[in-house]
Amino acid sequence: MTAALIWVLLTVVAEFALLSLNLFGDAATKQGQFIDDAFILLMALAIPVFTFVVTMIGYVVIKFRADGDELEDAAPVRTHKKWVGSWLIWTTLLTIVVIIYPGYVGVQELRETHEEEADLTVNVTGRRWQWSYEYEGRAVSLFAKDDMLILPNDSLIRFYVTSEDQDVIHSFWIPAFRMKIDAVPGLTTKFDVNTTKIGNFNDDVNFRVQCAELCGRDHSLMFTRVKVVEPAEFEQWIADQAA
Amino acid sequence: MPLVRGVIYAAIGFAIGGSISLGITNMTGEDYKEPMIVLGYVFAIIGWLMGVGMWKIWGREWFGKSTVNDPTGGWERYLKFNTDHKVIGIQYLATLAVVFLLAGLLAMGLRAELADSGQNVFTKNTYNTTMSLHGIMMIAVAVAAVMGGFSNYVLPLIIGAEDVAFPRINALSFWVVPPVVVLLLLTPLFGGFDFGWTAYPPLATQAPIGGLLFELAFLTFGISSILGGLNFIATIITQRAPGMTWGRMPIFAWSVLAASIISLTATQWVAYGMLMIIFERVFNMVFFSPPGGNALLYEHIFWFYSHPAVYIMILPAFGAELEIISHFARKPIFAYRWVVRAFAAIVALSFVVWAHHLFTSGMGEELAVPFMVLTELISIPTGIIFLSALGTVWRSKLRLKVPLLFALAVVFNFAIGGLTGIFLADVATDIALQDTYFVVAHFHYTIMGGEMFAIFAAGYYWFPKITGRMYNETLGRIHFALMFILYNITFLVMFIPGTVGMNRRVAEYPPEFEAMNLIVSIAAFGLGLSFLPWIYNMLNSWIRGPKAPDNPWGAKTLEWQTSSPPPLENFKVMPTVTGDPYGYGDESVVHARFGKSSPSSQAAPAEGD
Repeated sequence: MTAALIWVLLTVVAEFALLSLNLFGDAATKQGQFIDDAFILLMALAIPVFTFVVTMIGYVVIKFRADGDELEDAAPVRTHKKWVGSWLIWTTLLTIVVIIYPGYVGVQELRETHEEEADLTVNVTGRRWQWSYEYEGRAVSLFAKDDMLILPNDSLIRFYVTSEDQDVIHSFWIPAFRMKIDAVPGLTTKFDVNTTKIGNFNDDVNFRVQCAELCGRDHSLMFTRVKVVEPAEFEQWIADQAA
Repeated sequence: MPLVRGVIYAAIGFAIGGSISLGITNMTGEDYKEPMIVLGYVFAIIGWLMGVGMWKIWGREWFGKSTVNDPTGGWERYLKFNTDHKVIGIQYLATLAVVFLLAGLLAMGLRAELADSGQNVFTKNTYNTTMSLHGIMMIAVAVAAVMGGFSNYVLPLIIGAEDVAFPRINALSFWVVPPVVVLLLLTPLFGGFDFGWTAYPPLATQAPIGGLLFELAFLTFGISSILGGLNFIATIITQRAPGMTWGRMPIFAWSVLAASIISLTATQWVAYGMLMIIFERVFNMVFFSPPGGNALLYEHIFWFYSHPAVYIMILPAFGAELEIISHFARKPIFAYRWVVRAFAAIVALSFVVWAHHLFTSGMGEELAVPFMVLTELISIPTGIIFLSALGTVWRSKLRLKVPLLFALAVVFNFAIGGLTGIFLADVATDIALQDTYFVVAHFHYTIMGGEMFAIFAAGYYWFPKITGRMYNETLGRIHFALMFILYNITFLVMFIPGTVGMNRRVAEYPPEFEAMNLIVSIAAFGLGLSFLPWIYNMLNSWIRGPKAPDNPWGAKTLEWQTSSPPPLENFKVMPTVTGDPYGYGDESVVHARFGKSSPSSQAAPAEGD
């Protein structure tokens, strides 16, 4: 009984802390929002499991401690049908829940836009140790390491990602978008995002393209600053560049 | 002196192999360096093995000559090709303790670099090599400390055998390990290797010669694991004491069997992977490097081994953990049969979950859901291990000795490791968290928090048996308290940079993440220092500790029913098993009787002692 009370109490406190903390700021894409929500949900589900283990260990260590000189045996309970059965049922149920949501639903969510026509397609190429970007159909490309990747807000953006033929594997990651995909030589990969938030590397370092797959000497420095602006501003910028 | 002879023979071997290779490359006009190293190494390792004693014990019989095998002797018996499983166990443990401390020092270097966001301790290349070396050396410790060390020492004893099924193969498995360590330690002199322990091509095929040494080391270590797995499977099937039915077998033996199945089969994949990279480098063959090769192919081959490999590490750790918990709770292992079923399920599932490492790799999209589902199913058998641990301690008579403290810490730490694994099995959250510090914190929770804590539990638990002396309990508690607290601060805080946008394997990072990294670094330095009481305790107790009784814990498994340390071939009188080893509080369950079959043998003098 006491153990159960401690467990409930710990769980409530931890869940409350989880919901009142802002763990990682807002994601800047619809997909990222889903991922953040999934993270919180998994935390919420993990907390009672964790507090159960902690409570059990703590309670047992205090309550059933027997440090006398004489070795004393406990009553030989080898198994307990009901406990084993309900444990199996609960762990299986939790697993199924997690597989369905956020698991299966999440995969669908991230693919939802794949059949739609993108507002903007960017072809991304990695090479040691910088990225280059080509805005498809806009006659604008960025090659210099210091260039800022400008992207429109409220848009469906599709990134096609690859790495140069004689190069190595990189990974195209924008932390603020929560999305990443590897840039593999000889292969073109892609992901879609719906941008939802204006932002700028200078205010938030997560507005950056960061190589996330170890690629040798300057791997840490293989990043590009990112700026998400209003669509009108974006079109203006494209026009300026093209001119 | 076998070691010196081994080194000389290795040098001669390298000269022979290298010359043959030079002769060939001279004709083909290819660059001579890498072929010379590979062929020279192959001959060198044969020379090394023969020199340390394999020739005397084994090689002579290939030529119809008689062999001599004397595994006894003083301390010098540890420094030669020795077929006694207890000697081999100690050889593994001593070697790996050194590797563990070296790799730990490298980690201290990494944390010094990461204490602030700039580049100050290492150059970029030396950072990458240091990080990669830390990774592969710790992986080697994680794979071989339980399987090579404790399994070797304890498994034959705990199942009532005289030795493993193939003692010479067992010695061979150990003696290829020192060359692995030497190769890895030589890498910095040959340009290092900057591709992590995962060695993804094309980066790995383009790396300097240090990279080739890494591939050779990994391949050699793989051969050691494969042979070790083979040996333990054969040992468990054929060498159990009379009456040791499957249902009476200690849970540790079950866990070693489960891990050995993976070790024997999955390791072959990564060995081929390494061989293919070596062929790419040496013969310019094309497997993984575009154009012509497929970089993703390697990722599949690599993880087809390396995911199951984490179960080679953790399953025997679970086995040791449950074993220790039962004997210190003085209560039978709860739901023993379910634990065995869980081991079987984990082995089966371990082979079909590898691609969860590849959710962001660009593999076929349709693979994401099946691999996510299969991966998450592992929660169910893993949950049974927790059920068993918690069910065993419930209403027990818990003796809070150092081994038990570590074993309970395994339950705590692995709860965090396991639960954070779900975030990485889930496709959506994995896309955000993959390649960040969240992953680093997660696998340190499973491998260090889970397995390494179990290794320390096992180390304290079997110390009296192995050395014949008792360790110092107070120092052990100090070690435990420091390590447990500092470990948890280090790695709990490490989750944070991962969730807020810091990727792994970087020497430099945005200054915004500096504060949390500083905390991690300070805690990590403390964690490093926490091993000092352990080192002192182990060395001092081994030399000067009080003599240990045969069975200081009052445990019922067979290794405690013989002397500490046990004689050659383990039991003066062989046991006959009559029940399972968990008969606490139940007089009717007696694990074994000694000398029942031939009472006269009790009076016989001890064999080979």
